[in-house]
Amino acid sequence: MEKVIEIKNLTKSYGNGRGISDINLDIYKGDIFGFLGPNGAGKTTAMKIMTGLVRPEHGDVKILGYSVTEQYEKAMAKVGCLIEIAESYHYLSAYDNLKQLARYYPGIDHSRIEEVLELTGMLRFKHEKPKKFSLGMKQRLGLAAAVLSRPKVVILDEPLNGLDVEGMIDIRKMIQNLAEKEETTFFISSHLIHDVELTCNRIGVIYNGKILNVESTSTILKNYATLENYFVSEVERNGRISSSAS
Amino acid sequence: MKLKKKTALLASFTMGALLLATTALADIASKSGYEELKDAIKLTAERGSEAFDSFTLDFSMAMKDNGKTLMSGNETKKFDRKTGATESLSSNVNLNGYTNSSQTYSDTKTMIRVSESDPTYYVTEFSKEREIESFNNPFKEEEAADVEKIIDAIVGSLKDHVVITEKDDGSKEINGSLTEVQIPALVNAVASFQLKQEFNGNHNQSNMPKLVKDVFVKQVTGTAKVNKDGVLESILGIAVLSGKDEQGAIHEISVDALITVTDINSTTVTKPDLTGKKVVRHLERDYSGSEISNPEKYLGKFKNDILIEKDGKFVKIGERIIDITHIDTIKVTGQYHEEFKPGFEEYATNTSELSFSAEFIKDQRGNANFEYTTKSGVKGQGNIYFDDYQGKINFNGMNTSYEGGLMFDSTFSPDLD
Amino acid sequence: MVVFQAALLNELEKLYKKKKVLVGILLSLAVIVIGQLVIVGVRSGFGLRGTGSVEFPMLVLSVVVNTILPLFTALVTIDSFSGEFTQNSMRITLTRPVSRFKVYTAKIMAIVLFILGALLLLLVFSLLAGFIFNTNSATLDSLGRTVFSYLVSLFPMTVLALAIALLANILRSGIAVFFVSILTFLGLTVLSVLFSQYSGLFLTTHLDWYNLFLVNSFPLLKILRQFLIMLGYGIMFFTAGFYIFDKKEF
Repeated sequence: MEKVIEIKNLTKSYGNGRGISDINLDIYKGDIFGFLGPNGAGKTTAMKIMTGLVRPEHGDVKILGYSVTEQYEKAMAKVGCLIEIAESYHYLSAYDNLKQLARYYPGIDHSRIEEVLELTGMLRFKHEKPKKFSLGMKQRLGLAAAVLSRPKVVILDEPLNGLDVEGMIDIRKMIQNLAEKEETTFFISSHLIHDVELTCNRIGVIYNGKILNVESTSTILKNYATLENYFVSEVERNGRISSSAS
Repeated sequence: MKLKKKTALLASFTMGALLLATTALADIASKSGYEELKDAIKLTAERGSEAFDSFTLDFSMAMKDNGKTLMSGNETKKFDRKTGATESLSSNVNLNGYTNSSQTYSDTKTMIRVSESDPTYYVTEFSKEREIESFNNPFKEEEAADVEKIIDAIVGSLKDHVVITEKDDGSKEINGSLTEVQIPALVNAVASFQLKQEFNGNHNQSNMPKLVKDVFVKQVTGTAKVNKDGVLESILGIAVLSGKDEQGAIHEISVDALITVTDINSTTVTKPDLTGKKVVRHLERDYSGSEISNPEKYLGKFKNDILIEKDGKFVKIGERIIDITHIDTIKVTGQYHEEFKPGFEEYATNTSELSFSAEFIKDQRGNANFEYTTKSGVKGQGNIYFDDYQGKINFNGMNTSYEGGLMFDSTFSPDLD
Repeated sequence: MVVFQAALLNELEKLYKKKKVLVGILLSLAVIVIGQLVIVGVRSGFGLRGTGSVEFPMLVLSVVVNTILPLFTALVTIDSFSGEFTQNSMRITLTRPVSRFKVYTAKIMAIVLFILGALLLLLVFSLLAGFIFNTNSATLDSLGRTVFSYLVSLFPMTVLALAIALLANILRSGIAVFFVSILTFLGLTVLSVLFSQYSGLFLTTHLDWYNLFLVNSFPLLKILRQFLIMLGYGIMFFTAGFYIFDKKEF
């Protein structure tokens, strides 16, 4: 199978002892990869490095064969992402926000912007400024921005943050749809274990900055009743008991 | 790749720093025309006051209205630093069209003045040899450095308009020229306002056109020549002010000023020959010293009249007489007595006859406090003041009660009969 | 190049949409109107000409080049960097297929274009005002010099923008950047008065460098030296600013 994301020996430590150390991961084409871990385990750090917001101390990330640290433009050409909070320029309308991004991708035009707005249910707010948006609406706009360029790889950090049930279902459908129809590869971090179970087909557990295990969802569900059981046992196996998999 | 980027950044930064440093050094090292001009002026002033034995300074200026001369002036000053003698010749045509010229000569002992309108030679002779420095270096004054900084700041970016050209013989020409576009608008406005006020001030009958509208400084140019020793030989400045009079006619008023320094070490200052001329002499006493000059002139008698008022008239009943028996710049001694006419002897008091002795108070010219002793041996204190200007003595201190309508008078005139 | 153009276009759109351009136009017009009123006042009140048609733009330039232009430059630069750092909106651009070098350069370029626009606007309007309200004193030479003076003023402003961009990348808060910039500006102004022999090294003096182009004799060497000094500053500021920007984590 074709490797889409290749993470090698990725290390980054912060002053407060947090960070990630020696992470190795391979994500294959068509994967909907779930990145599970408690708060502060290093999920966001890893994803920031993957999208070039933070430089690693050691190691590298290759997306579609291009190094993020060295060939950034090429590596990111077919990547869409949403890191932490969905940011937008609050003085530009939803449409203009997307138009700004569209300029970086050849072939992304007016109709595609409308399309992703429709896809995320934001079309009726296209001329409104995100200043007045709720957290959920901002999140939808952020997702629209992530998939705008018809990316081959989508990196999402807590994509369901702030969404209502309806929104969650919509987004989950969208992700599955894209994975099926366009063979888009997803890399999703989430604290909602149930949701990861429903959406993702491969799951990696990160704890204290280290990858504990990577397994396909179907294999996990064969051996464990739920994903939550698997997660707790994985964490326990590695020494400390985490009371919750938040 | 990563290393390459770092190297590129480092190289770029270093290049910028080097570029900055080398050019900055060159910039500091390079002297602008303005700096050179300042140096030349300073050097000239310094040499003029310390090194040159003699030189001639020539000032001339002219004011023209559309090319027609309104006024002009010329002054030639010769300095002989060794003897302290200076001579100056000046001639002017003023705004009303009148001409006048005058000549002044001065050295340590005399000053001679004559003018065209009055051919009398006024000769002033000084009792004491004056100490004159024929030419003072203005840059030695205390405030000079601060004034220079302020001027530098005001001149500001106009400095760059001063251009220097070096000649083959080592001499230099410094040029500066500003036209209306180059003169900062604010400077232009302030300067034109000042000049307008100046010109339109109080010359009611002059030839000067009254500018009422659209006044502005049109052009300012300057040229200075510096010889190969760095001494200023000449400096010429021209300013042109433009404006309209009440009839709307445009006037361009130009002011030219030229200063030249010539005949360095070869100037001779000659005292005017007074033979056969009408001469008025007078002796200038030196009032400025801290001691009276020629104190011995006060030796001898001084007196005034003792008056009373009687039946609505002044009646002289006697005289007060001071006899200075010894005087020098430090001490003075003498006697005082009163002489009454027959029939008025009863006015005499116990201080009518006394002797005194005093020391001059330091730095108080001609002023002394004395102690006196009367004939009967009573002591007292008083003050004496030698008035050089009036040639009189002020004598005070006997707190006598002047009974019977005696007039009080403390001023004594010399008794020269 | 396509990517850079996109980045530049985005920066310009952001400037425009933030009403910065509008504020710029209004302020520039205000300067010209106030300036013209002062001139008319001086003319009728004191009988001075004030300025001729060509001198008026020079008067405007000499005022704005030391006041509102540096102020604008500072505000726009601070907003472009500090503003986006604190709102985290820098991430929007940085996670796109565009290198940080291009982002940094595009930001600087947009600011430079903004200043250029402001200068041209001031030039056009002050020329218009000059011709309408003031005695005609134009010659082709003086007109040419005026236009040139406006254009060359862009260069020191660019260096200033680079300096402030560097500062904005060093300091966290935009307000801190603003005050440090103002204090430095005032400090340098005072220093260049006190040490006038070194004033050629200070950026504040360079703002007035257009005066050099007005000199009849055209002091080429002096112009070259000033140019190289500014270039040196510019390269250093740009490199250092970019270095910090490139290392930043968002």
